[in-house]
Amino acid sequence: MDEFQEILQDFLVESFELLEQLDQNLVELETRPDDLELLNGIFRVAHTVKGASSFLNFDVLTHLTHHMEDVLNKARHGDLSLTPDIMDVVLESIDLMKELLYTIRDTSADAGVDVIACVARLDKVSGGDGNVASPAAVEAPVAPAAVSPKEEAAPEEEIDYDSMDADEIEMEIERLLSARKEEDKAKRAAKIAAGESVPEAPPEPDQAPREEPVEEPAQKAVSAPVVATPPPPPPRREPSEDAATAAAPAKRAAATVEQTIRVDVKRLDHLMNLIGELVLAKNRLIKINVDVEERYEGEEFLEELNQVVSIVSLVTTDLQIAVMKTRMLPVGKVFNKFPRMIRDLSRELKKDIDLEISGEDTELDKSIVEEIGDPLVHIIRNSCDHGIETPAIRKANGKEEKGVINLKAYNEGNQIVIQIDDDGKGLDVEMLKRHSLEKGVITEKEADNMSDKEAYALIFRPGFSTAASVTSVSGRGVGMDVVKTNIEKLNGIIDIESELGKGTSIKLKIPLTLAIIQALLVGVQEEYYAIPLASVLETVRISKEEIYTVEGRSVMRLRNDVLSLVHIGDIFEVERILDANEHAYVVVLGLGTSKLGLIVDTLVGQEEIVIKSMGDYLKGIDGVAGATIRGDGGVTLIVDVVALMEMARTVKTRVLVESSSSSKSSEKTKASDYTVMIVDDSKTDRMIMRKALEPLGVTLVEASDGQEALSMLKSGDHNFDAMLVDIEMPRMDGYSLASEIKKYNKYKNLPLIAVTSRTGKSDRMRGVESGMVEYITKPYSADYLASVVQRNVNFKSEFL
Amino acid sequence: MSDKLKQIINKQNAQQNIGIDQLDDIVQLVGFVIGDEEYAVPILSIQEIIKPFSWTRVPQVPKYVMGVFNLRGAVIPLIDLRAKFGIPTKKHSEETRFIVMRHGDDVAGFVIDRLTMAIRIKKENIGPAPDTISGDETMIDGVGKQEDKIITILKVNKLLERDF
Repeated sequence: MDEFQEILQDFLVESFELLEQLDQNLVELETRPDDLELLNGIFRVAHTVKGASSFLNFDVLTHLTHHMEDVLNKARHGDLSLTPDIMDVVLESIDLMKELLYTIRDTSADAGVDVIACVARLDKVSGGDGNVASPAAVEAPVAPAAVSPKEEAAPEEEIDYDSMDADEIEMEIERLLSARKEEDKAKRAAKIAAGESVPEAPPEPDQAPREEPVEEPAQKAVSAPVVATPPPPPPRREPSEDAATAAAPAKRAAATVEQTIRVDVKRLDHLMNLIGELVLAKNRLIKINVDVEERYEGEEFLEELNQVVSIVSLVTTDLQIAVMKTRMLPVGKVFNKFPRMIRDLSRELKKDIDLEISGEDTELDKSIVEEIGDPLVHIIRNSCDHGIETPAIRKANGKEEKGVINLKAYNEGNQIVIQIDDDGKGLDVEMLKRHSLEKGVITEKEADNMSDKEAYALIFRPGFSTAASVTSVSGRGVGMDVVKTNIEKLNGIIDIESELGKGTSIKLKIPLTLAIIQALLVGVQEEYYAIPLASVLETVRISKEEIYTVEGRSVMRLRNDVLSLVHIGDIFEVERILDANEHAYVVVLGLGTSKLGLIVDTLVGQEEIVIKSMGDYLKGIDGVAGATIRGDGGVTLIVDVVALMEMARTVKTRVLVESSSSSKSSEKTKASDYTVMIVDDSKTDRMIMRKALEPLGVTLVEASDGQEALSMLKSGDHNFDAMLVDIEMPRMDGYSLASEIKKYNKYKNLPLIAVTSRTGKSDRMRGVESGMVEYITKPYSADYLASVVQRNVNFKSEFL
Repeated sequence: MSDKLKQIINKQNAQQNIGIDQLDDIVQLVGFVIGDEEYAVPILSIQEIIKPFSWTRVPQVPKYVMGVFNLRGAVIPLIDLRAKFGIPTKKHSEETRFIVMRHGDDVAGFVIDRLTMAIRIKKENIGPAPDTISGDETMIDGVGKQEDKIITILKVNKLLERDF
């Protein structure tokens, strides 16, 4: 019933949000007048407000914002420098815009604010002569009244009715009713055409008793012309029904009231946060369960533990889905405003366009529904303006005169797809490239190497526009830029397909929810990062030889394509201490049409992660979208794929950190400069070794197991020249210790000497495999041990 | 009986009032050492003090931001005050602590060399920061004088302010 009201509400909420942001931007702009990003932002606000107000028929507002846009557009392209004088005019216009919006909020119409003077000034600034026709002043108060009678400002109506006699009032009401009926009919027709059932607006009842409602309000108006506080239209349906039927909907309403509760979104958000915590705890529990299973294999209680863990994880998942659903809204809430928009646009552009909507019941998270409205408006406007041809051209090309835009939503795996198809002229790759070249958006070389898909994506570049002239609908090259930024903010992907002469299809793939996502965990050196799975196309294992260098950047051949590569360590400034393996993994990231291979050291696996913000202190770090807490309680950073792709263009591959063993600065000048670590869990054994080596005068450091030894080595307090390692030790045995140490570039040449009572041949073999250079079996003579150590540390004989 | 009760209540009220009066003049601080200097922050700005545990490095930040760590489900930045104050960093020891400070919605953990004690200091014994370093930019709120030493009192809001 109050569809217009609903749209108006949306518009107001959005506009006020934008204004809030605008105020901040303007303040910043005064200090940094050359900041293009800020100007772009302000420009977008004007553009969005203009777009929405034009289809809501707020002519004064449209008029004003259109001229604001002109000025800002010039400034944005550098044709106009923002002197304080110009800023004054811009600020004045923004104040006016605010005033208009407040007027609209209070009276649902944009009359009563004088913008002519300001528009003239704006026009002068942007190069016009200042003589601007003002369509608004006279028309505006009438135009909204005619199209949306229920929105009429109440006070005006009262005065009118006061001065009218009964007949005039009756005629006026008749006129209003028929206007509205037509409007309703058009809407319904649009919906029915889209194959949708129309549950909310029962069309039949008010057809038959047509006469009644006209009379009833008329009488009311006559009988109480002075007190007439309620504007006549609202009591339309009630009087048309008798007492019995009137009671029925009331009852129905009561029943539905009981079934729904209005809940503050904050509470749901809190609930969602708690679920997030629970999911983390669940992940941790699963991890512990796996560890326990390994350690106590075959124990009876394992069965029970397993059951509990699986029940907890099942219930947690269900709970998560249930809470997510409470935040879901049908996407129809956004779609609803488009039939009207298409109608107005087709009239304005003198084209014949039909909108078909399907899948409006598909549900999306509330926050996402709020975010996709804007991009969809821009895409659909774009389709109308650039996609669909004029009827004459369509006829000449053998198409139906009526163009069709198809808007549909559906689920696809963990994503929602919103698809906008038109049967217009399609995208012309050559034309796109030519235009981008002219506008300086791309270079000639880029244009030559561009695939069709990449060329389609050009329409999302800021400053790109193929429209020959700037109309009030589009052609400024800003709208589609908004689309891209907004969708990417939602972790979504845009996919364009087009066939010249047949039409264009734009797919927006958006995740179901923002808070919890599936991620691929990757490791580089000793660090881990989480990559949103939505952007991961595939992973491949390659050997170092498969990486080629072209013009200073790494690339590889992936089937028939050439994929440019970047090492995650170069992006996140990871120090390369561990020895790089012969093999590496490449995570192929895809975002829309662009692809990038990200080289990582290890793939850890897929995990459900909860996105957490890193707070104000660390926000806005390039390439990091947030952080998550892993099952083990550690924090893992989440990769911002969009930013990463940008960074990959500029990042320089750094040379591997050279192993430091050769550059060890300290020249040995005395025996105690040599440092040897003794790793053994038995104190006696350590003592025996110490006794054997003390005569040499070298510095001795002891560790009681592999873990301790490893952390002492990493701490870098000593530069060790050799290590004596026992094989059987708690926590970490000698073999594992040796292979851990050998992973580090730095310790590649550090001699590891096994000292053990294991004498088997296979033990020796394992020792060699894990990187030991010598193998001493217990018992041994003190002299023998000393000589082995001397030999391995290149002990200078003069110290003896 | 009820008179007696009244008396007791009155007495208690009077005592409480005295207590509050005294508190008014006293600032409670927590002292800690970084390098060779002793610093302090108001006790109420401290959320908790914990022993060091593992943290995750964050790229593209100044050296003194060590990374982020998990404080019972919240991801919190960790800042090394040695590095921030231009003192060479050293390895964490047994006495190293993370102090989690809060100002409004801003929370961060700070690495300090060791804690000293909770300090109660009279307001009149707190002097302003030296003229040469006062102003809006300084992190020093004032200088507290005690019998044998002086303590630099830091501005928590400045510590929690992002300056890169």
